[in-house]
Amino acid sequence: MEVKGIVSGYGRGDIVKGVDLAVGQGEIVTVIGPNGAGKSTMIKTVAGVVPARSGSIAVAGKEISGLSASEVARRGVAYVPQEANIFRSLTVRENLEMGAWVLPEKQAERLEMVYGFFPVLRERRDRRAGNLSGGQRQMVALGMALMVDPTALLLDEPSAGLSPKLVEEMFEIIARVNQAGVAVLMVEQNATQALKMSDHGYVLAGGQVKFSERADVLLNHTEVAELYLGVQG
Amino acid sequence: MLQVLFNGLVTGAILAPGAIGFTLMFGILRFPNFAIGAYITIGAFAILFFDQVAGWHIALAMLGGIAVTALVVWLTDLVVFRPMRQFPPISLLVVSIALSLILENVIRFIAGNDVRGFDIPLTRPVKLSGLMFTSEQLYLIALAVAAMFAMHAILKFTKLGKAMRATADNFTLAEVRGIDTDKVIAATWLIGGALAGLAGFLAGLDLVIEPLIGWHLTIPVFAAAILGGIGSPYGAMAGAVLVGLAEEMTALWFDPAYKVGVGFVIIAVLLLFRPQGLFGQPEIKK
Repeated sequence: MEVKGIVSGYGRGDIVKGVDLAVGQGEIVTVIGPNGAGKSTMIKTVAGVVPARSGSIAVAGKEISGLSASEVARRGVAYVPQEANIFRSLTVRENLEMGAWVLPEKQAERLEMVYGFFPVLRERRDRRAGNLSGGQRQMVALGMALMVDPTALLLDEPSAGLSPKLVEEMFEIIARVNQAGVAVLMVEQNATQALKMSDHGYVLAGGQVKFSERADVLLNHTEVAELYLGVQG
Repeated sequence: MLQVLFNGLVTGAILAPGAIGFTLMFGILRFPNFAIGAYITIGAFAILFFDQVAGWHIALAMLGGIAVTALVVWLTDLVVFRPMRQFPPISLLVVSIALSLILENVIRFIAGNDVRGFDIPLTRPVKLSGLMFTSEQLYLIALAVAAMFAMHAILKFTKLGKAMRATADNFTLAEVRGIDTDKVIAATWLIGGALAGLAGFLAGLDLVIEPLIGWHLTIPVFAAAILGGIGSPYGAMAGAVLVGLAEEMTALWFDPAYKVGVGFVIIAVLLLFRPQGLFGQPEIKK
């Protein structure tokens, strides 16, 4: 995935002011940065939820900027919002079925695969998704996105609101999904933990890329560590 | 007392399809469509047309009228509401009030102001251990119950029905997951319209058919939908029966002329004390 010079925002102002980034096949790329840096808007723009005002977004060489969110999903790029990312009043199974809307012929096969990733969802398949625990709700959200057999996942703060133990579990799951060949672009607050499992990292501030480095380089970068990873210099 | 309960059930059965249709449209389109009453009137008159002008059997006329109503209701979306999708709910509410006046007067223009009824043989009311009822009332309840089961089956077991629930639950996520929301919206109008058509038939069986037949049902239908938790089809079913019972019970103590006020009172009390309805869950806002 290649993102070049995207600009977007709400109303009059721009929040994302010309961001370039790249996610290679099968890579995990993490975007960190302070609150209000435009991380969430950036990932929504890639997902087609917020329209790009300029710039290009290409997946496997094909332009996807200007497409609606549902068309982006059809192209195999599955976005998981940070909040309101499940259908609370539907059962777990119905949620997963809705995930397969664009790929009905593979629904049964994908369902098995998602249950394989998250065995607890198979147990709870007839429960209302809104009644599950926070961690299980995140599994439903991620599972739904995986139903379309995506080539890339866009995750907006997958660990937000989870207990430290669940954060670890969530990252393990993301790593397993990635090992199955799915590229991951995620925005994270748990910067250190996220970077540890990533190939590449970006630091976004003020709507622009401040640093772009290999994840391990970024982790040891003094300035980045002081400013964004909460490490005392 | 038994008679009052039965009458309440009949009223509830008349209100239920309209309330379900109204609440389905609200769930997906997020505005209260005031034209629901006019849609019911269209249903009653379309069935009346097939019944009396075309001379069809009443059952066939009902199906024909339901189909016509569904199409007309869907057309009102294409012509009126679809171009205004981005407008706030309050604008759409006002537009729907205007639409209902237009539709009502078109019907008046075509059909006139006369009071009519379906061409069905008059039957003598049956008396059974103190309870008096007509066979039409039994048909009416049976049809309403059948419509509820059909609606339940659609929402629970069909892919489209599940997508309707998903879209009502979280529209943005439905789009993100690639659900064809345009198709879901079109289906919502068609199904809502069909339910309004059925409501027109039920109302026409029990009341006289005139251009205001649906108008009189608008407030009770609103009340039923709000009582059940707006946006919830199952709530609307229960709400319809409760409003029906409340209307009939009121007639025990007050002049029946006040019956029409019951819906208003229910709406006012609910909005003050329990805006999510009896069965709805409060919306969680962050």
